[in-house]
Amino acid sequence: MIRALIVDDELYAREEIALLAAGHDDVEIVGSCSNAVEALKGINREKPDVVFLDIQMPRISGIELIGMLDPEQMPRIVFVTAFDEYAVAAFEENAFDYLLKPVERQRFDKTLARIRKANGAPQSLKGLEIPELTQIPCFTGNRIRLVRLGDVEYVYSDISGVHVVTAEGDSSTDMTLKVLEEKTDLIQCHRQYLVRLDRVREIKLLDNGLAEIVTVSGRTVPVSRRNLRDLKERFGLG
Amino acid sequence: MDVIISLLQQMSVYLVIAYLFSKTPLLKSLFTVSMRLPPKAVIYVVFSGFCILGTYFGLNMLDAIANTRAIGAVLGGMLGGPVVGFLIGLTGGLHRYTLGGFTDLACALSTTAEGLLGGLVCLYLVRRGKADLLFNPSTVFTVTLIAECLQMAIILAVAQPFERALSLVEVIAAPMILANSMGAALFMSMIRDQRNMFEKYSQISAAKTLRIAESAVGITLEGLTQETAERIARIVYEETGVGAVAMTDREKILAFVGIGADHHTPGATLMSEHSRRAIETGEVVFADGVELPYSCSLSKNCKLGSSLVVPIRADNEVIGTLKLYEPKHKLFLSINRALGEGIANLLSNQILAGRYDQQKHLLVQSELKLLQAQINPHFLFNALNTISAIIRTNPNQARELLVHLSNFFRKNLKRGSDMTTLREELDHVNSFLRIQKARFEDRMHVDIDIDPGLLEVRIPTFTLQPIVENAIQHGISNVLDEGRIAIRAETGPDGIYLLVEDNAGSYSDTGRSAGGLGMGIVDKRIKNLYGETFGITVDCREGEWTRIWIKLPQEEMAA
Repeated sequence: MIRALIVDDELYAREEIALLAAGHDDVEIVGSCSNAVEALKGINREKPDVVFLDIQMPRISGIELIGMLDPEQMPRIVFVTAFDEYAVAAFEENAFDYLLKPVERQRFDKTLARIRKANGAPQSLKGLEIPELTQIPCFTGNRIRLVRLGDVEYVYSDISGVHVVTAEGDSSTDMTLKVLEEKTDLIQCHRQYLVRLDRVREIKLLDNGLAEIVTVSGRTVPVSRRNLRDLKERFGLG
Repeated sequence: MDVIISLLQQMSVYLVIAYLFSKTPLLKSLFTVSMRLPPKAVIYVVFSGFCILGTYFGLNMLDAIANTRAIGAVLGGMLGGPVVGFLIGLTGGLHRYTLGGFTDLACALSTTAEGLLGGLVCLYLVRRGKADLLFNPSTVFTVTLIAECLQMAIILAVAQPFERALSLVEVIAAPMILANSMGAALFMSMIRDQRNMFEKYSQISAAKTLRIAESAVGITLEGLTQETAERIARIVYEETGVGAVAMTDREKILAFVGIGADHHTPGATLMSEHSRRAIETGEVVFADGVELPYSCSLSKNCKLGSSLVVPIRADNEVIGTLKLYEPKHKLFLSINRALGEGIANLLSNQILAGRYDQQKHLLVQSELKLLQAQINPHFLFNALNTISAIIRTNPNQARELLVHLSNFFRKNLKRGSDMTTLREELDHVNSFLRIQKARFEDRMHVDIDIDPGLLEVRIPTFTLQPIVENAIQHGISNVLDEGRIAIRAETGPDGIYLLVEDNAGSYSDTGRSAGGLGMGIVDKRIKNLYGETFGITVDCREGEWTRIWIKLPQEEMAA
């Protein structure tokens, strides 16, 4: 069974893919998302085998979305595009799966055949030019919010997920701590905490080799023994 | 004492006559110090008359005549130059000579000398560029004073016997010097007053120029054609009152109004050498009919006697001329000359402005076409994709969308003209929105609220559509949840306002990109058509809304 997620900001485009997939018994549509933020959530929750990913989407493009995913849990991506000539040339060059809108049945079937043949083997997305991450897709309650990276004080994870803290408050994100550490300039100060250096007001050294960071807005962030040395070095205190 | 009173009485009568004369059109010929013949002849006749008059009014005493003859001779000389002055003096002198008496020869000689003196003063001041001093009564007073002293000297020198002459001069010298000097000064002050009045007329002519300019606005925007030339020539003819007015291009007469219109026919090749010279050199050619003769190159019987040819320039090249004519019997007033040159300059500027406007207009048109060509393929592409996607599940809706698409493009094609009504523009926008709405089906909401009274307002084509397209492209398609777009039209205190609002509030991000270009063109077009106070203003609250206001004038309301 191939578990597929459809991501497209146009309803009828999503329906079209679903309709084409309906002709194949071994394909199950596990979700349908109309933007990248929902898609991030959907991918993390459903862990689909394949994502049909539209490139032109509001605020966060399909390509940017890929940059927000954990490379180790990356589903197979089938790019769907209407007229991005540049992207199509890149897909062709790197032998990525892609579909052109309007999607032809034959072409769709062929793509599915390729996916079946790969049989779950990870696909290489090397060669894909992913723009730098400048914002973190978040939810505050039910509202989607894009938090600018520059506004972030620190990020932490707990049982309920990953939280992004700015001077204004907390929101949760579907990006993982690992991806955030890799893709941003946030620094790990604790197993569950990443901090922005330019938001650090002071580092309080505690007993037993631990420390605490106080951020510009006055919040405290724990520093683990392991990360303290590294942190001190960064501040030129090493 | 009696002599003084008598002479002053004489002078008064004389001045009354001078005053009456100053009310006649003949006086006009005295306003400028001109070297041309017709005014000179007038000056000769008039002032010789005054000379003789002065003799007749004279007071017989001691076998001589105490008189005011000098006024005519000196003034005539000062206004007409040395030759005219000499002739006037000679005429007055000869007349005096015929009356006899022991001073006859002396008087004849001295009057001639006085005329010549006036003429020489004229020549001197004109050469010094101080012609205005000629009209100054105190100058005249001084000159006459000297002239009269000269006369006394001549009498003493020429009249025989000397003793009689001396006793005569003793009696008449003071009264005559005084009376003549005062008389001449007063006479001149009359002329000067009239002249000042005439200057006021010139200011009125300046107003005329402005009127001409005003009525010619717009005409020349089309450039110089036979039709516009005809209209301009008629306006100039009516406002200046010259004998005839013509406009030409570089080769032929475009329009001719006034005397001689029977043989100066529009379309005729330019024959006059003056016109050709004006076109070749770009300089004003003034044929006053005396120094530079004007003779009609088309007909011997032409009544026109003087002409002014002013080149009309655009971008440093002469594209035609404006010609003013006066008939042979009429003087070409220097005021009309200045007026003619002024008008031609105005026309030059306007034609230049017209060309500039035209080019600007063409540029905007082509930019608009370019924009359409750029955006429509994307729109068409998205529309076809949407239709293709729903054709299986909802054939009826797909068909409906195809109808809208077809409607949209039909209207696009039909929009050759510059102006349309708000109703038509909305219809076009509606077709566009129906397709876009289908594309963003579940996340786009459109709200149109138009005052029905405004539906027939005339607006430039493609005023609303690029703005709405922009709002979708850079607004709605950037909103993660539901995008809302509102279109309103309302009447404000100083115009009509069209509002396109979206809830993306992303203008500051994208305003200067491709979307801004379409908006820029719409704005530029409106400003070109209606002026700087109209056009587009953008109000944006980031992340909340973008409001694009299109301000249009109210006068464009259809009847």
